Amino acid sequence: MIADRIFAGISLLLIIGYGYIAFYVIKAPFQYDPLGPESWPKILAVVSGLSALYLILKPDNISLDISKSVFIRLITVTILLFGYSFAYEPLGFIIATFLFCGLFARLLGANTLNSIYFGLGLGIFGYVLCAIILELNLPAGPLESLLG
Amino acid sequence: MNEVLLGLSHGFSVAFMPTNLMLVLLGCFAGTLIGALPGIGPINGVAILLPIAYSFGLPPESALILLAGIYYGAEYGGRISSILLNVPGDAGAVMSTLDGNPMAKKGEAGRALSLSAIASFVGGTLAVVLLAMFGPMLAKFAVKFNPSDYVALMIFAFASLSSLVGKNAIKSLFAALIGLMLASIGIDANTGVARFTFGIPDILAGIDFLVVVIGLFGMAELFHLVEQQIRGNLKLLPIGKSFVSFKDLMLVKWTILRSSLIGFFVGVLPGTGASVASAITYGTEKRLVGDKGDFGNGDPRGLAAPEAANNASAGGAMVPMLTLGIPGSGTTAILLGALLLFNVQPGPLMFEQRPEIAWGLIASMFIGNFALLLINLPLVGMFARLLTIPQQYLTPMIAVLAFIGVYSVVGNPFDLYMIIGLGILGWILRKLDFSLAPVILGFVLGHIFEDNLRRALSISAGDWSILYQSNNAVVLYIMTIFIILVPMFVKMYKKRVSKNN
Repeated sequence: MIADRIFAGISLLLIIGYGYIAFYVIKAPFQYDPLGPESWPKILAVVSGLSALYLILKPDNISLDISKSVFIRLITVTILLFGYSFAYEPLGFIIATFLFCGLFARLLGANTLNSIYFGLGLGIFGYVLCAIILELNLPAGPLESLLG
Repeated sequence: MNEVLLGLSHGFSVAFMPTNLMLVLLGCFAGTLIGALPGIGPINGVAILLPIAYSFGLPPESALILLAGIYYGAEYGGRISSILLNVPGDAGAVMSTLDGNPMAKKGEAGRALSLSAIASFVGGTLAVVLLAMFGPMLAKFAVKFNPSDYVALMIFAFASLSSLVGKNAIKSLFAALIGLMLASIGIDANTGVARFTFGIPDILAGIDFLVVVIGLFGMAELFHLVEQQIRGNLKLLPIGKSFVSFKDLMLVKWTILRSSLIGFFVGVLPGTGASVASAITYGTEKRLVGDKGDFGNGDPRGLAAPEAANNASAGGAMVPMLTLGIPGSGTTAILLGALLLFNVQPGPLMFEQRPEIAWGLIASMFIGNFALLLINLPLVGMFARLLTIPQQYLTPMIAVLAFIGVYSVVGNPFDLYMIIGLGILGWILRKLDFSLAPVILGFVLGHIFEDNLRRALSISAGDWSILYQSNNAVVLYIMTIFIILVPMFVKMYKKRVSKNN
């Protein structure tokens, strides 16, 4: 119940920000059609603001039901994912994927050696399959000269 | 009728081209694989594979044929984890666990799997037949739609979405509004005014459709799997040698037919899709059979009904997408987005202007259904073995696929951060019992809704009464009121009945 209220409350704040921009910031230099670019966001802000208010007043009986260990793991996964995106271009697909998958599999309970094999395998196999055979656009990173 | 046959023959000539034939088979196979994985349903499957399909550089009809194959395949594959693991891939497969898993526990997994394959086949095929018959008719009718009719249609779509999907109507509506607001980000096409871009160049053109789909579905799925992995020790039941018998088929024949028809028509309603269709048909069969059945403990009818219905609804959901440009389900919303990526605007004119897409898709769905039946009956053991992939390897693979998908199409690392952010949002929404399909429907329909509203008011020079002046619009508003009121009456009736008892 509390989780629902918190979510609706934060949403309401965001919607107020959205609505403020719709009502006061977006202006067309010239009136093109009766509605203009700002009316549609205005309508959305009002309707969604009312729905968020309703959810604050009448929340469902839901608890998030996350234990501390799950929460810590989810945070770790999020950090890993951001690290992966950060390393994606500078390190290239193979190295970034090796590091990410190795750490991720280890975090989820695979043993160290298997995690290394898995990361290495997926990095190389993924690159060969996607970038070389399917010719998709993937970053090569420092290995570029090697992959030619 | 003649026209339908003519269209179909054109469609088959497209679908039987070697590349397209290969793509149907590939899509069905990959879809079954993805659908069979525990926890991944059609919508996530199509979302994760969409960018890869897009980056192949195929012509639109071929790409759509591939994606539809994945969609159908995933609807088929979903039953494998439902029956053997008791883990439904998505909401549409929940009903299949109710009797499918008890059958497997009794040692009849083979019987349950083959029975569900046949029910899915009949449901899917019947839906394609109905789609071929009704689609062009509806399209012809819809050609005369003017902007204000489209506005009424949108209102009907969002009303049926919020009143039929999910437990809480306001939550479904709110989810759709999130999608609509996300769609309003970017430069307004009519005036060139930037909206909600905060000067960030990466979102000037709006948030990319692929980013929203991969983030909300693919990445949210990943967080969900990480969370489940700690809790779950999933136990896989053996398939054994049992097989569906003639007696079984006789027992379920009317169940399958009824459920296919209901499933199709529920699928046609915007936004509803497999979960509503399977729930309604399961309830219907349970009531019809009454005390004579053994529902919930492994009654074959309880498995055949939702299986036929969810595949039939997949076909039904294609009807509004192909004829009106309004998707009938979350997954068809993704297919619609895929068409827009190819600069194809689905709508009433598609049957006339792009027959190779409309009819090619319909014909390939016929072929896909046969292919799925053929590969599913003998190969089910192989697909089932997929369920033994340890989660610690499966979960990172989803992230890698999502990253490849987003990066290979747009080539911008900013999008990688965006999918993680949207993934967190999707996970929170799921935790709080919001359904995600309305978000994507809202996102896809946002521009169509706004454009038609603005066009209608331009025609009337700002007079809002134009919105309810045409007959089509009035009929749609009446249907809207109907679809909001019916579930409310049903609820009140149920309350009264339970009070009297």
